[in-house]
Amino acid sequence: MTGLQRKVCLLGDFAVGKTSLMRRFVYDLFNEKYITTIGVKVSLKSVAVPRDGEAVELTLMLWDLSGSEEFDQVRASYLRGAAGAILVCDLTRPDTLADLPQYANQLLSLNPEARLVVAANKLDLSDQHQLSSTQVAEAAGKLNAPFYLTSAKVGTEVETLFRHLGHLLVA
Amino acid sequence: MDSAIAQLILEDHKIAYIITDPHFRTIEVGGNANTLQTFQACEGRSLFTCFPELVGSEDLLQSILAGELPRFQLTSVNREASEGQTVYLTMTTLPCRDLAGQIKGVVQAVVDVTDVVALEQQVTQRRNELRLLQGKLARQNQDLAAANAELKRLDEIKSMFVSIAAHELRTPLTPIYGYVEMLLQEDMGSLTNKQRESLEMVSKNVSRLVTITDHLLDVSRIEAGRIELVLRPTDLWGLVNKVAAEFQPQLDTQSQKLSLSAAPLLPLALCDEARAAQIVGNLVSNASKYSPPESEITLRVAPAQEEGFLQVSVIDRGGGISAQDQEGLFSQFFRTASARLSGVRGAGLGLYITRSLVELHGGCIWLDSEPGQGSSFHVTFPIAGEPVTPGHG
Repeated sequence: MTGLQRKVCLLGDFAVGKTSLMRRFVYDLFNEKYITTIGVKVSLKSVAVPRDGEAVELTLMLWDLSGSEEFDQVRASYLRGAAGAILVCDLTRPDTLADLPQYANQLLSLNPEARLVVAANKLDLSDQHQLSSTQVAEAAGKLNAPFYLTSAKVGTEVETLFRHLGHLLVA
Repeated sequence: MDSAIAQLILEDHKIAYIITDPHFRTIEVGGNANTLQTFQACEGRSLFTCFPELVGSEDLLQSILAGELPRFQLTSVNREASEGQTVYLTMTTLPCRDLAGQIKGVVQAVVDVTDVVALEQQVTQRRNELRLLQGKLARQNQDLAAANAELKRLDEIKSMFVSIAAHELRTPLTPIYGYVEMLLQEDMGSLTNKQRESLEMVSKNVSRLVTITDHLLDVSRIEAGRIELVLRPTDLWGLVNKVAAEFQPQLDTQSQKLSLSAAPLLPLALCDEARAAQIVGNLVSNASKYSPPESEITLRVAPAQEEGFLQVSVIDRGGGISAQDQEGLFSQFFRTASARLSGVRGAGLGLYITRSLVELHGGCIWLDSEPGQGSSFHVTFPIAGEPVTPGHG
């Protein structure tokens, strides 16, 4: 089995659940309390993905970047060399979906070949949803990205989301 | 610089460092011991293995090696300390030169800035939580505004229904009342005692229906803002006397005595005569309905305490009204507990209409009452500002 390493950024507004998605995927943990990320935290996780009939061990270097506005000016310096990104929005806050193209454009301006996947998070908060899957699909379509409705809290589609991006990165 | 002093500074500023060869392989590690713990066993390994945060910036580090870039920095890099808490680091890559000034590798300086960034984290956390709350509040406000608009629409439909229903009910009441009166006056032939009693019962209930429908029509006009007052300088004392005369038959049936009094030299009031009579009449009617037979009701006109107003007071010796009932007394469809128990009929609209009419005049209404001590209702009307007229006592 051959080994590959790819840099993947988690991008999106503050409090959409980027850190929670990463923690669920890497450590299978979830913390109910919201803790604002300042700066960047890099975590590694290896996944086996098929390519040309053989399994490839892909090490995802997951860059969990602060979504706070205060970080906007320096975010670009952390995006260099990214092969892909998970664009995260919150199903209870429509503005977080509207902001995704800005993150995508910033990433693609530095890494034109980067692959994108959209995660519409907080699926578990169904009584507070302000976005429909149709709206998410439409926005993801404009970004030419597949999308998943995820819940970091209960783990819905989290593994699938990262594995899908893994497939795109080794294809 | 003395190496001991350099080490002291590195310790004090929580600075650790790594020196690499031109291939970014670590050849020396030193500085603050605690900071060093945030990246483990780097010696002999690639800088990019020790610091995955530098992945993607390889070309910039090559530029530093080539002498084309003086430094490269990443701020607020999160690392987890052995105890599990987050440590914030600033990472700066600098050229490492030999004694001849030639670049032989890079120096990776790592500064533990947790003390400062942890504060920044707390401030940002609070700010973000506030933003989330603002968003929630904005959405709740939108929901409330939508619910409010829907309630308003339903209220308008209700008002329209009340108005139409009252009007449709009121119209046939007039001929019914007229024919009953004609029958009672024996314009269509003589009546037996039994027939007269029955017709008087019909007449009494038709009068009651007329009052209820008039009240409903007034309420719908008030809610729609369709009551227009014709304000004229009015002799309030004269008006009160007319009302008293109109109610004398009702008072007589209860053997109640109505005492009238007025302060001397009363000025004219600025009011709509018909509506002012309705206000005073409603208060007198209530006083009569809720007072025992043979009791005395006082009707008084005097300058109000508030300058520029006249005050009409209706004082009864009835059962009084509890403080709890007084709170809702001027609301629509409100009836006091004692009124409900007394068997006196009413829809609970009279005082609501009275208050609305008083306020339309620019006056106010209030009461003084205690259970068992009777009630005093007071209303004020603005003074017309014309010369005073002789009062009557």
